[in-house]
Amino acid sequence: MGSSIDLLANPLLLNILVNFGIFLIVTLSLNLEAGIAGIPQFGRVLAVLVGAIGAGSIAGRLIASYYGLPCGDEYVTGSTNIRIVEELNQRLSSNPVDSILMLILSLMIAALMGGIIGYVASYPAIRLREAYLGITLLTFGEAVQTIAKYYDPISGGTEGIMVPDVFRFVGTGQARFLFSTAVILLIAVIVYFYLQLLIRSPFGRSLKAMRDMELAARVYGKDIVKLRTQSLIIGGSIAAIGGALWTLYTMSLKAYTYNRVTWSFWPWAFMMLGGTGNNMGILIGTFIFSTLRSLIFAYKTALETIIPINPNWLEYILIGLIIVLIAMFRPQGMLPERSELPMRRERIEEIRLHTTKNLREEN
Amino acid sequence: MFDIVLTAISYSSAIALAAAGITLIYMTTGTFSFAHASLTAWGFYVVFSFSKLFFREIGNPYIFFPLSAIISGLLSVAIYLTVNRWLLRRRADMITLMMSTLGIDLIYFAFLNVFADYLTQEYKINARLVVLTTDDITIAQMGGFAVRAIPLVSITLVIFTLVSLHYLLNRTKFGIAIRVTIESPSLAEIIGINPERVYLASWFIGGALAGLAGAILSMVVTGTPAIGNLLIVPEFAGSIVGGLYSLFGSFAGGYLIGLSEYIIITLLATFISRNLIVYQPLIPLLVMAVFLLVYPNGIGAFNWRKVLRR
Repeated sequence: MGSSIDLLANPLLLNILVNFGIFLIVTLSLNLEAGIAGIPQFGRVLAVLVGAIGAGSIAGRLIASYYGLPCGDEYVTGSTNIRIVEELNQRLSSNPVDSILMLILSLMIAALMGGIIGYVASYPAIRLREAYLGITLLTFGEAVQTIAKYYDPISGGTEGIMVPDVFRFVGTGQARFLFSTAVILLIAVIVYFYLQLLIRSPFGRSLKAMRDMELAARVYGKDIVKLRTQSLIIGGSIAAIGGALWTLYTMSLKAYTYNRVTWSFWPWAFMMLGGTGNNMGILIGTFIFSTLRSLIFAYKTALETIIPINPNWLEYILIGLIIVLIAMFRPQGMLPERSELPMRRERIEEIRLHTTKNLREEN
Repeated sequence: MFDIVLTAISYSSAIALAAAGITLIYMTTGTFSFAHASLTAWGFYVVFSFSKLFFREIGNPYIFFPLSAIISGLLSVAIYLTVNRWLLRRRADMITLMMSTLGIDLIYFAFLNVFADYLTQEYKINARLVVLTTDDITIAQMGGFAVRAIPLVSITLVIFTLVSLHYLLNRTKFGIAIRVTIESPSLAEIIGINPERVYLASWFIGGALAGLAGAILSMVVTGTPAIGNLLIVPEFAGSIVGGLYSLFGSFAGGYLIGLSEYIIITLLATFISRNLIVYQPLIPLLVMAVFLLVYPNGIGAFNWRKVLRR
C-alpha cells in the first residue's frame, strides 16, 4: 500500500496526469465546436484565457473582499498582490468549506465568462465562413491576449498575479498536488461524459447534420444560427473551466503564458491525432501527446546531452511532424468518428418492425 | 512624424508583399498558409546571417534581398512538393490543408531557432536579438534627420512586384494558365494545362514574397526568431481585408493594415497617452474586424468602375 502511494505521488506522474486532464477538457471543448459543429475554432486560447482571468482575478478579488481584504488595484499590483494572496492562503488553508466554495465559485465565474465569449464569437461565426472565420477567431484570441498582457487591472499585466490556493486545506506539498490532480481528473471525466451524452442527444446530432450539410439541416427545420451560437457557448464555457483549473493549479495567472501555440494549436493537434469528432479518440490522442510533452519537458536536461539541439525545438519539430503526417496519412485520426445510434440497436429494430407491420395492415 | 511615416511605408510594404503571397497561394491551391510566419522570419535571418556573418566584407544588406526571396521561395516549394501536392491530389478539405501548413510552420520555426542557436555559438553574437537598421544606407539629410534607403527600396520592390505580376498574369501564356487554373482546375486540365506546374509556381512566388517581406522588415524592426509569430497576424489581416480572391486587393489590404497600424498608434500616443503604444498589435485586428463586419467581401471585391461612373 505504501509503495503505491509513493508511486502515485511521483511528481512526473502527477504532472502528466494534470496536463492530460486540463488538455482533455480544452480539447473536448474544441471537438464540440470544430469536430462536431464544424466551426474552424482557431482561437481556443480566448475562452481558456478568459476562464483563467475569471478564476484568478475576478473570483480572487471576490474572495478577498469577502474576507475584508483590499480587492481594488492593490489586488493586481505585484507587491501587494503577494501579501493579499498569502493572507488569503492562510485563511483558506484552515477553512475547507470556504475553499471548496471558492473553487466552485471560480469555476462558475469562468464558465459564465467563457459562455459570454462564446456568444460574442457567434457574431462573426454566423456571418463568415471557413478561412475568414478561422482567422477572425484566431485574431480575437490574439487581441484579448494583447489587452490582458498590457492592461494591468485585468491580471497584473506582464508581471502577472498570484492566485489564492483553493487546494491548500488538505495540506501543502504532496497532499495538495494529489488532491488537485484528483479534482482536475474528476472534472475532466465529468466533462467527458457530459459531452458524450450531449453529442448523442438530438442537439449533438443536429450539430453533425449542420456540419455535414447545412442546407439539409435547414430543410429539416434546424435553426443554424441557434445551433452555432449554442455550440460556441457550451464549448467556450468548458474551455474556460479548463483555463480556470490550470490557473488554480499553478496558483499564478500570467497572460503571456496563454499563447496561441499552447492553447489553440496544441489542442488542434491533439484532436487531429486522436480523431476529429470522436471523444474516445480525443482522450487517447490527448493522452499520447500531453504525455510526450511532459516527458520532453521533464527530461530536458538529460536530452540536451544526447541530441545536438535544444530540446525545446525538438518538441516543436516532433509536434509539427505529427500534425503533418496525420494530415497526410490519417486525416480521420487514430479513432475515426463513428456514426452513433441515437438509442440501443434492439430498440431501433423494434420500432422498425412495429412501423412496417402497421404499414402492412393499413395496406 | 516624418520618420514615422517613412517607417510606416517600409513596414506596410513588407506586409503588403507577404499578404499578396498568402493570397496567391490561397487563390491557386485553396491553402491558407500558416507557414508564411516562418518564411518571413527566414527571409529576415537570411539577410542578417549573410550580411553580418557569412559575407561581412560586402557589408551591404541589400545585396542579399534576392537571396532571401529565393531561399524562402525554395522552402515554400518544399512545402508544396512534400505535403501540399499530396493533399491536393487527395482533395483534402480546407481545414486539413490549413493544419498541415501549421505543422510545417512549427518545424520551420524550430529549424530557425536551431539556426539562431548555431549562429550564437559559432560567431559569439546574440542571434536571438538582431538589429540591422544601423547597417542601412543614408540617402539624404532632411533638417538634421537622416533619410534611410529602405522606404524607397521597399516602395520600388512593391511596384516592381506589382508590375511583374501584372505582366505575368495578363501578358504571358503561363499567366493565362494560372488564371484558368484559378477559375477551374478541371477545365484547365481539359485544355492541356498542368495545374501542378501552376501550384508549384504559386508556392514559389508566394514564398519568395514572404522572404522579401522578411528582408524589408530586417531594415525596419528588431528581429527575434519568433518574429514570424507577431507578423503573421497583420499579414493575415492584410490578406483577408484584401478579399482573399484578389492579388491586387491584398496589396491594398496590406498597405491599409500596415499604415493604419503605425499611424493610428502614433496619433493615439501623441494625443491621448504614451502608454497606449503597447497596444500596437491590436490595431490591425481592429481594422480587420471593422472591415469584415462592414464590407465582408474585402477590397478586392470593390467595384471601382461603378464608383467612377457615378
